[in-house]
Amino acid sequence: MSLIETINLYKTYTVGDVQVHALQGVSINIERGEFVAVMGPSGSGKSTFMNILGCLDKPTQGKYVLDGIDVTATNLSELAGVRNRKIGFVFQGFNLISRTSALENVELPMIYNHTPAHKRREKAMEALKAVGLEARAHHMPNQLSGGQQQRVAIARSLVCDAPIIFADEPTGNLDTKMSIEVMDLFTRLNKDLGKTIILITHEPDIAEYAGRLITFRDGQKVSDEVKK
Amino acid sequence: MIDTFLSVFRISVKAIFANKMRAALTSLGIVIGVAAVITMLAVGSGTQKSMEERFSRFGTNILYLRQPWDLDESITSPKDITMDDVRAVRRVRGVTAAAPYISSGFEVKYGITKTTIDVLATDTDIFKAYDWQLASGRQFTEQEISSYAQVAILGDSIAKTIFNDVDAVGKTVIFDEVPFTVIGVMKKNGQGGFGFDMDEGTLIPYTTGKIKMNTGWGNSDPRSLDQVIIRVGDFNKIDEIKVAITNSVRNTHKIHPLGKDDFQLDDFASFVEEAKAASKTMSILLGVIGAVSLLVGGIGVMNIMLVSVTERTREIGIRMAIGATSADIRLQFLVEAMTLSCIGGIIGIILGVGVTMIVAANSTSIPAQMSLSSIIISFAFSAATGIFFGYYPAHKASKLTPIDALRYE
Ligand SMILES: Nc1ncnc2c1ncn2[C@@H]1O[C@H](COP(=O)(O)OP(=O)(O)OP(=O)(O)O)[C@@H](O)[C@H]1O
Ligand SMILES: [Mg+2]
Repeated sequence: MSLIETINLYKTYTVGDVQVHALQGVSINIERGEFVAVMGPSGSGKSTFMNILGCLDKPTQGKYVLDGIDVTATNLSELAGVRNRKIGFVFQGFNLISRTSALENVELPMIYNHTPAHKRREKAMEALKAVGLEARAHHMPNQLSGGQQQRVAIARSLVCDAPIIFADEPTGNLDTKMSIEVMDLFTRLNKDLGKTIILITHEPDIAEYAGRLITFRDGQKVSDEVKK
Repeated sequence: MIDTFLSVFRISVKAIFANKMRAALTSLGIVIGVAAVITMLAVGSGTQKSMEERFSRFGTNILYLRQPWDLDESITSPKDITMDDVRAVRRVRGVTAAAPYISSGFEVKYGITKTTIDVLATDTDIFKAYDWQLASGRQFTEQEISSYAQVAILGDSIAKTIFNDVDAVGKTVIFDEVPFTVIGVMKKNGQGGFGFDMDEGTLIPYTTGKIKMNTGWGNSDPRSLDQVIIRVGDFNKIDEIKVAITNSVRNTHKIHPLGKDDFQLDDFASFVEEAKAASKTMSILLGVIGAVSLLVGGIGVMNIMLVSVTERTREIGIRMAIGATSADIRLQFLVEAMTLSCIGGIIGIILGVGVTMIVAANSTSIPAQMSLSSIIISFAFSAATGIFFGYYPAHKASKLTPIDALRYE
């Protein structure tokens, strides 16, 4: 059984009288431990697709099974636990909580699975170490560079030992040097920790890091190739 | 679980302190509301306590005869309460004491200090009525009373204040420029009726007070009394005795059998009613202020929480993305609203305790007493306000979907 399996996903947004068909029948299987890059022109439905995979949104039609759980049959707030245990998110805009230290940001997911305070601290520190930021634990987000903020976000996505990381243009706001840092980190997480990583990008250089490349156009998957 | 709650609480405190000014303005209504509630409760329990104190001091055997403060309109020429009434009451079977009672203030000078003391002009029956005891010296004599003698019996504290530890008996005090000979000093007795504090006051013969001293003593008729303090022997017969007293006073006042009383005879129960009525007006006022302020404060909390939810929509989205359930989000904003209103509550309690202390120190007619339960109750009020008015914003936050919250600009 695949870790991620979608069958014929459709997503239609209705804005006033206009219907936007963001996804038009997408079927994909992703196995444990894969590193997948998703590319495609702007508006082709990449983010829409990833939000559904990440259990943040639901398809209009079709079926999605995540690690044996039929997501389409479960309501979104019930999926909070699934997101917490199985999924880590890394966003283009980092999405850290301001006025809250790096360490506390990383601790956050564990508050919601009721990890005891001392254990939280310990695991958050470990995760920060894994991304090389233990020295910055008590810095606020606005005291960190973009690359560092993104690494804090990655630490946050690791801390609950979720097997999957979704990253929507994680290097979109970063310069080349910081992008390389972040991509090296993803590669390590994939190779050493066996994390399944699905990453959206516009840059072919970034897609190079992945082992599989899926391309979208007009809400449909147009190519899906595994590198040798 | 406690860990989780603590983290949620810390997040709330942080969010509130990020906007100190806003939080302060928001909780102002709660501050005033809680302060009013706490003062109201203190006045209520203070009245209760002062009632109990009077009850235990004088028992229920005391009656007060006086002219009504609000006289029935049909009575055109009410008779004053005079010594004739005192004598008539003394003849009633079951009455053990009936003392004339006129009160005023004297200016007294000692050393370089000048102060005003409470004066009670009366006769020796006051000792029986209130069960007061002398520490030294003697009571007034018949002769002193009939000759308007300038003699005084001093209260315990005032005697000590004026004469230090020297025995005051035989010494002279100057009241309103007139010399009085001290013939006795009281034991420590405490409060009499109607706010007269024997320890800080002085007794003089009612005759002297009424006629000799020309200091604007109340009524026009030089023979009239403020009231008569009556003690009955057996509380179980108090109703019969009241009827007998009423009849005999009606006789001395020559009231037609169908006419209305031109006097009032109060027992302990009516005294309690009166004191309650006095504090009730204040309690109602405070209650209304409290309720309105809490309402305004609550709406303020709701408003600020709605703003906060909107401002932090993205944060809500992030929290949901990493695993917060709707219930977690709701709890967080509820705790935040509660924290905000409880901070207001604590400041309100401090303010309320202060106001209560000022009221208690400056007013004898409105007794106020602080109690732990009133602090707890008013704190509970502030917390309840937070929960009640914080619920809607919290609920609104919890109903956001993760994706909409994350996309919010
Ligand atoms: N909430 C929404 N309401 C209406 N239309 C939407 C909404 N979200 C996305 N769309 C539309 O759905 C289509 C797919 O959008 P999506 O964000 O998935 O594209 P994308 O491939 O991620 O693009 P980009 O590379 O620019 O991020 C677009 O036409 C977009 O306008
Ligand atoms: Mg996108």
